[in-house]
Amino acid sequence: MDSLNPAIARVLAAKEERRRRLAALPFPEKVRAVVRLQRMAAPVLRARGKRVRVWVLDRAEA
Amino acid sequence: MERTLHVLNRLERKGVLGRYAIGGAMAATFYAEPVLTFDLDIFIALPETAGGLLSLAPLYSALRQEGYAEENECVIIEGVPVQFLPVHGALLEEALKEARDTFYETTPTRVLRAEHLVAIALQTGRDKDLPARSRTTRRPKGYGPQGGFASAKAGHERVRLLREEATLDRDYLAEVLARHGLDARWKQWTP
Repeated sequence: MDSLNPAIARVLAAKEERRRRLAALPFPEKVRAVVRLQRMAAPVLRARGKRVRVWVLDRAEA
Repeated sequence: MERTLHVLNRLERKGVLGRYAIGGAMAATFYAEPVLTFDLDIFIALPETAGGLLSLAPLYSALRQEGYAEENECVIIEGVPVQFLPVHGALLEEALKEARDTFYETTPTRVLRAEHLVAIALQTGRDKDLPARSRTTRRPKGYGPQGGFASAKAGHERVRLLREEATLDRDYLAEVLARHGLDARWKQWTP
């Protein structure tokens, strides 16, 4: 089997490391990250006609 | 989400819910990297009614009285769409019973064990041991015609995520898979 191009191997290793770091975050921080993902995805999904609601985590956001 | 969990804890104390635990994508996020979801899946044991029926109606009614509105298959509780999934069948009953106690900030809650999340994902497409539908008949959003994941791909992705990122207790997982006849599927999905 061909060996992986070193540049690609570095990118994959960095991605792997980032996923490990994200997985190790405390749960509330992960939930905040999910809400950030919701904010990014919601306009795209709404444009496709999907009804989605971005979570409100703090009263100040309501 | 902390205020949402406060409400769930209060409902559990009042006996409107028998026992609850976070499941689905948010439970997977507890063990692995954050994954996009718009619903908070809550697996629940419902107290039996006098006639022996399990119904979400008393829960929805209690939530309505507190001012929480229904939206599609969810109830919006303190800004979070919550989807209640009554457990039904051996695997889900066991998963809820053995859910892990934890805290969200300072609020106590429960999350299904990672090993059970794997087992539930493996059951995709099977008729048995799946969330009971709706108040009595409506199918929860995100679950397929048989009540499992909307697609086999989603189930595979959940297994992959947990296998690669969660700390799985391999002995416990093996016991769960054996107990629920899922070892063959595990081998098939994880060659």
